[in-house]
Parts: sequence; C-alpha cells; structure tokens
Amino acid sequence: VYSIGVSNKDAPKADVLQGTLDIMILQTLAMLGPSHGYMIAARIEQVSGGRVVLNMGTLYPGLMRLEQRGAIRGSWGVTDNNRKARFYDLTPAGRKQLQVEKQEWNRTVAIMQTLLNESK
Amino acid sequence: MGAIREWCRRLWGTFRKAPEDAEMEEELRLHVEMVADELQRRGLLPAEALRQARLQARGIAQAMEQRRDQRGLPWLEDLLQDARFGARTLARAPVFTGVAVLTLTLAIGANTAVFSIFNVLVLRTLPVQQPGDLVQFTWQYPGDPPMNFFSAENYATYREHNTVFADLVGLSPLSFDLEADAVTGNFFQVLGVSTAAGRLLEPRDDLPGSAPVAVVSWGYWKTHYGLDPKILGTTIRLDSVQARIAGATAPLDHLQATVVGVVDPRFSGVILGRKPDVWIPTALVPGKLGLSLMARLKGGVSIRQAEDQMRGLDRDRLEGFAARDPQWRRVRLAVTPAATGLSTPLHEQFGGPVRMLMLLLGVMLLLACANLGSLLLARAAAREREMAVRVSLGAGRLRLVRQMLTESLLLAIVGGLAGLMAARVAGGPLVRLMSAGARSLGTRPPPEVPLDISVLGFTTAITIVAAIGFGLAPAIIAFVAAPAASLRGSGATTTSRTQRLAGRALVVTQVALSLVLLTVSWLYAAHLAGLRDRSLGFDRNSVLLLSIDTSHVGLSREQGRGAVKALLARFEALPGVRAATVSGMTPMSGAGGSRFLTVPGFTERLSARHRVSLNSIAPKYFNTYRTPMVAGRDFEPADESGRRVVIVNEALARHYFPSVDPLDRQIFLEGDPQPFDIIGVAADAKYQDVRVPAPETVYFDCFRQGTMPSEFTLRTSVPPESLADDARRLVELAMNGARVRGTRTLAEQIDAAIGPERLIATLSGFFGGVGALLAAIGLYGLVAYTVARRTREIGLRMALGATRGTVMRAVLVDALRLVAIGVAVGAPLALWGKRVAAAMLENLPAGGFQPILIAAAGLVAVALVAAGIPARRATRVEPVIALRSE
Repeated sequence: VYSIGVSNKDAPKADVLQGTLDIMILQTLAMLGPSHGYMIAARIEQVSGGRVVLNMGTLYPGLMRLEQRGAIRGSWGVTDNNRKARFYDLTPAGRKQLQVEKQEWNRTVAIMQTLLNESK
Repeated sequence: MGAIREWCRRLWGTFRKAPEDAEMEEELRLHVEMVADELQRRGLLPAEALRQARLQARGIAQAMEQRRDQRGLPWLEDLLQDARFGARTLARAPVFTGVAVLTLTLAIGANTAVFSIFNVLVLRTLPVQQPGDLVQFTWQYPGDPPMNFFSAENYATYREHNTVFADLVGLSPLSFDLEADAVTGNFFQVLGVSTAAGRLLEPRDDLPGSAPVAVVSWGYWKTHYGLDPKILGTTIRLDSVQARIAGATAPLDHLQATVVGVVDPRFSGVILGRKPDVWIPTALVPGKLGLSLMARLKGGVSIRQAEDQMRGLDRDRLEGFAARDPQWRRVRLAVTPAATGLSTPLHEQFGGPVRMLMLLLGVMLLLACANLGSLLLARAAAREREMAVRVSLGAGRLRLVRQMLTESLLLAIVGGLAGLMAARVAGGPLVRLMSAGARSLGTRPPPEVPLDISVLGFTTAITIVAAIGFGLAPAIIAFVAAPAASLRGSGATTTSRTQRLAGRALVVTQVALSLVLLTVSWLYAAHLAGLRDRSLGFDRNSVLLLSIDTSHVGLSREQGRGAVKALLARFEALPGVRAATVSGMTPMSGAGGSRFLTVPGFTERLSARHRVSLNSIAPKYFNTYRTPMVAGRDFEPADESGRRVVIVNEALARHYFPSVDPLDRQIFLEGDPQPFDIIGVAADAKYQDVRVPAPETVYFDCFRQGTMPSEFTLRTSVPPESLADDARRLVELAMNGARVRGTRTLAEQIDAAIGPERLIATLSGFFGGVGALLAAIGLYGLVAYTVARRTREIGLRMALGATRGTVMRAVLVDALRLVAIGVAVGAPLALWGKRVAAAMLENLPAGGFQPILIAAAGLVAVALVAAGIPARRATRVEPVIALRSE
C-alpha cells in the first residue's frame, strides 16, 4: 500500500508529492463532480486499487490549499445518506489548472519513459 | 498568481481562526463517521467500526493541527503568540521594562537626532541628476574661512579653457523681499532639474538684452498662487531690502521679470538652509555680480585632475591679487565634491563635530546594549525554572531562543518608537544650538531636519541591531537551559559557569565603553572650559549688545554723529547702565576688517607681511569692555579734528615696536598716504575668533570715520537682558526711523561663536554621564545579584568568624576587580578614541593620560557607590537566619 503522508507528524514535504496530490484531487473532482472529502479519498483509493490511501492529515490540508488558491470551492451540503458534509467543486481556474498539470505530467512521464527505456 | 492568492488567504486566516476552527473540526468528525459507516456496512459492530475508523484516520487532533498550519502562516502565528506572551511578561515587570525602555529611548533617540543632522549635512545629496559628479571651487585666504566667490570674468575664463568639466554654472544669492538666486543661463540644464510647470531658465535668457524672465519655486507657487497655472506669464517684482550686491555701485531698488516656469518640488536650491523663491538670469541684475561656482565633471575625470587643471587656469587671477598682497601667493584653488550642495559655514563648522558625535553615540548604543544585555541576563537567570519547565513540556530550544529574541525586539521597538519621537522633539533645539554658532548665516532660519526615508531606515536598523545585541545573551542562556538541574534544585545555586561569566563580561564591557565615553567627553568639556576661560581681554559678563539699523534715518554725517552721541548719553542715563559705547563691530560677532600696515623704519620680508585687524570705536570703549589701557590715553572729543590718531593693542606694539615706545609714533595704512599717530596702547583682546590669540589691532575714532557706527555696547549693573526692552524703546524714541536689528548679551554672542565646541561638549558630557550611570546600574545589578545568591555562603563565613569588614571588603574587591579589568580593556580604546576626537575637532588639546585617569577615577568612585549598597546589605546577613533559610 502506498500511503501519502506516512505519518501525521511529518507533513508531506516533497513538492512532487504535493503536485501529485493536487492533480489527483482535481482529476477526481473532474470525474465525480461536487464531492466531499471522504468520497474523494475513497475514490482515489479505489481507482488506485488500494495503493494510495490518503489520511485526513494529508487530504484536508491539501483541499484547503487548493481552496486557498482558488482551484476549488467548498460549501456545506447533505449526502445521499442524509449526512451533513462539506462538498468541494472545481472552479474554472481549477479546471484550467488541471488541464495544464495533466499536460505537464504527461510530458514528464513521456520524457522519463524515453529516458528509462533507452537501451545501450 | 495562485501562490500569492494562497498567501493572502493564509495571512487573512492567521487573524480569524475562531469561527473556522469549529467548522474544520466538524468536517473531520463527519469524515470519521463516514468511514465508520462504511466499515459497519462491511459487517463490523458500530463500536468497533468507529474505533477502526479513528485508527485509520490517525487522529483528529493531529489532522486539525496540520490544517491549521495550512490555513494560516505558522511562523507569523508563532511570532504573534510570542509577542503577546512577551508583552505580558514585560508588563509584569514594570520597573525593569521602564528602565530598559528609557535606556533605549535615550540611546536610539540620541542616535536618531544626530543622524538626522548628519544626514542633512553629510549624506543627503541634491535632487539633481548624478549629484556625485558635481564639484565646487573654493579658495582660502590665510586666516579666513574658505570662499566660493568669483567674478563673471573668472567664470568665463574657466568655462572657456577647461577640458575637465562637462560645464560650469554660477549663482549669486540675492536678498530682496523674496529670496532670489541669480544664476547663469545653463544652471538648470547642467544640474538636470526638471520642471513642474512651464519651462526653466535657458542659456538664451541670460544673454544681454534678452527679455527679463524668472522661474519660481514650487513652494512659492503653492503659497502665492495655490498651484494655479495662471502664474505663467505673470510679472514678478522683487523689491530691495537694502539689497547690496557685491560690486554694484548703487543699491538695487527693484527688479521685474515674467514668470515662465516652476521648478520641480524636490529642488530647493543648492545652498543648505536657503530656499530661494525665485531664480533669475544673472543678465537681469545690473552691475557686476560675484558668483559662486559649481561644475559637473566630465565622465572619467577625477577631482584631482580637475583641481590640477583649475589651479593652472586660476594662476593669473591669484597673481593679480598677489601683486598687491603677497599673502595671496599662499592661496590655492580647491576643487571639492558638491553632491550635497555648496559648502556653507554649517558644513565647515559642524561636519567634524557631527561625525564625532555619531561615533560617540555609536559607543553609547553599544553600552546601552551591554547594559540591557546584563539586565536581561539577570532576568533570564530568574526565569530559568520557567525555561526548564517549558523545555520539559516539549518546547523546542530554538523556539525558546525565538521567544527571548521576540521579547528583546519588542523592547527595542517600543524604545525605538519613543526614541524617534524624542529625536523629533530634540532635533529642533539641537539645530538651533548649531545654527546659533554658524556665523555669517545671519538671521537665516536653521535648516529643516526632515524625517526622511534614510532617517527612518537608520532608526529601524539600529533598533534591530540593538535588539539582537542585547537579546543574544539571554537567548543563548535559554538555549542551554538544562531542565533537570534547575527543576531539581531550588534555583538558587544552579547558575551555570557560562552564565556567571557572561554577566561579568557584560559588566566589564560596560565599564570599558563608559571609560571611552567619559574620556572623550572630559576632553571636550576641558576644551570648552578652556575656550571660555582663555583670557578674552575683556569682561564678557553683564554686557548688552544692540545692533541698530540707521540706514533709513536719513541724517547727514554731522547730524548722525550728534544723534549717536545723544543716544549714548541717554543710554548712560538709564538706571542699571554703568557705561555705554559704540563701535564698528563687537567681539566675536563675525564681522571684522583688516588692512596692511606700514611703520616707518620697520621692515619685514614680503612673505611675512600680514594684515592687522581694525575696529572703529567711540570714547569709553575700553572702559565699557573693561579692557585696560596699558599706556597713553583713550579717545577724546577733541580727537575728532586735528591730527589723526589711533590706539593700538599690545600685540601690535610688540610686533612693530619691539624696542621702542610706540606712543606718538606714526603708522600708515594701506591705501592711505596720510599717517596716523599712536596715542594709546590697550591690552590685547580677542577679535573674531576665541580660538586664536588676539590679533594685532588698530582702533580708530569712530566719530572721525565716514560710516555711522551702529553696534552699541552697554555695561550694566543688572542682568543685561533685563535692559533690552528699555534700550529698544529708547532707540525708537531718540532716533526717528532707526530700527533695532537685535539685542543679545556679550556672553551669548561668545557662546554662539563657539557653537560647535559647545554642542559637542554638552552632548558628549550628557552621554558620558548617562554612560557612567548605565555602567553603575549594571554593576549594581550584578553585585546585588551575586550577594543574594551568596547569602548562605556569607552566613556560613560569618558563623565561622568572618567580620563584617572582611565580608564587605570581599564583595567590594570582587566588584572593583571587574572595574579594573574594564578600565584595562577600555584604556587602549579610550586612547584611540582620544586620537580620533582630536582629529575631528580643530585645536583640540590631545592631552596625555590625564583624561583617561580622571575618567577611570570617576568610574571607580561610581562603582564604589554602586557596589557599596549591596555590599552593606551583605554585612547585615544574620548567620543563623541565612543558614536556616533553605
């Protein structure tokens, strides 16, 4: 299991990690539409086949940061099970950010693949 | 973009946290519940599901902490928290805080006040393009201050033949009812001044016969026209206030010119303290104008090169003068930087003293830091347990250091703000004290000392430096705080060795620094006392001086003479007046005259020839000034006609009549073919400068001179200033149309003439005293603290038979050892300081070791008192009580 933010004490440090967290959250929201924290975490866990487990200490500061940057917007609502929850949704700026970061990511992956598959 | 937005929100988040906290926690709680729901759906019991969910979530509290960190700016939050805590701690110790703030206020305030003057005199450059390229030309006749005064022909010659300057400009300050500067047409272009409205003067405006134009200052535009652009094209009229222009034959009554522009608000002329309202081309002023010259260096030309070439170009001018007066051969043109504007008497007189004061106050600031450091150190010792508890509870050591530094910064900021205010209050009197001594500035108002960005920057910088300076020691102590020891012990015996050493080192530092301060201030005080005491040749006390403007009285020479005599008689009839006289000039007034003297039968080398000082006086002058007559007699009414007679002073008699009786000998004055007979010899009296010996002086009978004497002197039997109003009224009553220009006492006039010395002696004396006081407080604190800690030990010693005397001696010897080390460390510093001080103030007697010895003796005396109080307390220790106390 690949857990992001191994312990609560050490906040995720590497920028790469933060970058991937941002893009994961944004992509999930783009897929699911407005969703609360638990939904996002569950979805990421599910899609990654249980390899990425986000704990609260990582997820919520990440959501907060994205909100502070204006990429997502949160508001209180009610879940299907009639539970109160805070729902997050992409803003236009967030959509744009996702586009840009996706491209960046794909480019990086392509470069890395070329590099790593290079045979002698 | 996003990052900035995030930062702003976090800054915002730092200050409003209460309402959001609940919401954040709610969200996390709901999250855990949802996880529990899910687990329950998978078949776990509700309680177990919740437990598992919590486990998986790994703690709401930690998650909250991380969210909080993301929400706000943690470092800022910590800082605010530290500041709040620090403020509470400081408020709990009002005496300590009060002393600390007062010390800082003094140190920072004094530094700021003097820096703002330093800024104006030395640092602030003219608001023109590349002020660093500007230079000025000066020459100095032996014995006179440097002059920047040239003829229009000189200007033309220099301008035409030099290859080192981009261009030269000339200006001539004129006094009309408005302050006007006549400038060469290229003035504004060469300086690179921009315009606020209309256009500035151009070379074509300065051609003979061109239309009369003028530009005005922004301030004039604002006060007289309310910034109305209609000012352009109006006619400005300059009326004469007995405008006398150098070289002009007739006084100038008025000038008229069309206003064509307003200069940039920042530009207020090139002379410190003078703010011209109007600039006019030199061509507008009839007659010959004397010019002050400035030039802009060509790129790559050094001042040295420029000076070499200018001296070559100036040779003809000086040769011309030297043909008549060989002293001129010693005159050299100097090219000096003019980035801060034309040099004024203020610069000449106060440049050195202000630099010296800056140095002294730097020492003072260091001393204040050492003092506060030792106070804080003592407090840190008292707070050791607090620190230990906090370390035990998990506070990071660096966090504690930060806390201590925040407290220091808080103190420093309060002190800095108070200092800034104190500096604003003290700045005015300081400048007045200075400009009182700046002779030949006349009645011009003192320059403003603005609170500009460099002053604020300076104050901020020294505040922060001070905070770190005095906060470092306690911060280090906080860093090494050992929790176990101080929690276990009573806190009374655990002071670490480092801490004791640090405390003693700080006291030694204070003693050393205050030795430097005291030495230098003693030096200045002795110098000033010397200047005051040095025999003036007259009695400076109980003398009132009146300067009267008789130019509008309109009397003939004969009538004027009668009027002056009548006025003298009325003055003498005033109750409280012992004697009255009148003269062409009064001592140390800044005025004076000099000419060459020829004595038949006396020859001297041409190069040794020098001028003698002149004064024209009424009878009873020597009586009024209490200058004794050594031989011969005073002037009498009969001397107004008949043979021409003079009185000379002893210095002159010694020089020109070394072996004969000067009485009834003849002297000739330069440019006057008729001889004068010497009828009297007066004792030597100072003339223009207190600092130099009395010059050779010739006194004429003022009633025989062409000009009406206007400087009245009253010797009084009551405080002289109390007669000023009566005397004023008398003048207006007795002489129709006469105006009293001003009254002052002779003592004031002499004090004003030694303004720089007075300024520096007063201030350095004050700060020397404050320095010694601070050192005493530091020493007292240390000794009191040591005695308190050693109470048990002292009790034990006394129980074992030590007498009160031995105890007292032990404590005092310990304190004096520190003082001795401090003196030993400070003495070389003080020696060095003495040399620096002597280099910065002319005529300062360097003295031997005496000032240092006196300062050291003073410090020892202060130290004995400071250590004596706690030492006495030590002798009162009751052995039984002390031993039982724990």
